[in-house]
Amino acid sequence: MDNELLKEQELLNAITKAYDVKGNVIRKGRVEVFVKKELIPSVLLYVKEQKGYKHLSHVACIDWIEQGEFQLTFNIWSHADKIMLYVKTRIDRENPVMENLDGIWDQLNTYEREFREMFGIEFTGLVGEKEFILEDWDDMPPMRRDFDTVQYSKDHYYFRPGREDAKDVRKTLTDRTGEEIPDYATKYSREK
Amino acid sequence: MNTTINDKNSQKIVDYIKNFARKNSLFVMAYGTGCGAIEIPPTMTSRYDAERFGIRGAATPRQADVLLITGYLAVKTLKRVIRVYEQMQNPKYVIGFGSCTINGGMYWDSYNTINALDRYIPVDVYINGCMPRPEAVISGFVALQEKIQRGDADNGKKYQENLEWYRNNQKKIIKDWKMPDYNW
Repeated sequence: MDNELLKEQELLNAITKAYDVKGNVIRKGRVEVFVKKELIPSVLLYVKEQKGYKHLSHVACIDWIEQGEFQLTFNIWSHADKIMLYVKTRIDRENPVMENLDGIWDQLNTYEREFREMFGIEFTGLVGEKEFILEDWDDMPPMRRDFDTVQYSKDHYYFRPGREDAKDVRKTLTDRTGEEIPDYATKYSREK
Repeated sequence: MNTTINDKNSQKIVDYIKNFARKNSLFVMAYGTGCGAIEIPPTMTSRYDAERFGIRGAATPRQADVLLITGYLAVKTLKRVIRVYEQMQNPKYVIGFGSCTINGGMYWDSYNTINALDRYIPVDVYINGCMPRPEAVISGFVALQEKIQRGDADNGKKYQENLEWYRNNQKKIIKDWKMPDYNW
């Protein structure tokens, strides 16, 4: 078992040795590292230039509203090692400022413009059109979790009568079968 | 030649022929929005062969009779749809296709898709379903043909008469109005 994860462990050791970061091997072919915001450019450059992690396949942004933070996850793939490296960082939610990184990978420019529009994260020195997907948007960034999309829809678009009885599908089904809904499911139900 | 066109019965005959011709050559604007456009190729091709009803595609808005709204409309798309609709010549018909055009469908609570299409442009026929099968699409077209034959499909005129109401609704969500204002 340990032999199988040799490449993954080697990569993790190299990164943790070079920088003050934490991380772990998730499973075969999956490694994650938790990096401070300030260290992100150097860590990305390090894995790209020194370790051969050249393919940035995706960047995800997660709104951790409970912790008051945004998390950016850079998924970087190595064609040689066949390992997906997750570089994760946290940004303060109240004042979301991040360094512009599109000098490292050009495609980061697109991701950053999307995050600027959808989450309101400011990337210092980011060049590009202010509008990415939305046109003349004047509300808060819509992918933030405190944005009430139902209320926005009610305020701006015309609700057609006749679908007020649209019940929670899960509830309708469980009523029919007599099954109990677990607590975690009722927590996110629209029917309060 | 002692018949005049002002004669009531002659007008009826002229109308009948006019409507008959219109209903049997419906040119559909080749503009697909949302996911429903995928149902159009099977409707048009050999299996369902919509051309036997006189339904076929048209390349530009000015040549088209029918505007088919095939699915959800984002505000951005609605802008283009209004533009296309206003460029079409009278008589023009709109078919709302799929439940998204009726009440928002599964996107009813989305921040970026409209819920009721007939607030922004007049709709002649709605086809429900998510997605409607080609049979349903053809059935919707037949309903439109019956409406044309009866002579009560003149929503283009209705749009011109109530332009202010439609404009108010449109400008409520399209804030940066950069479109030409027509005076037909």
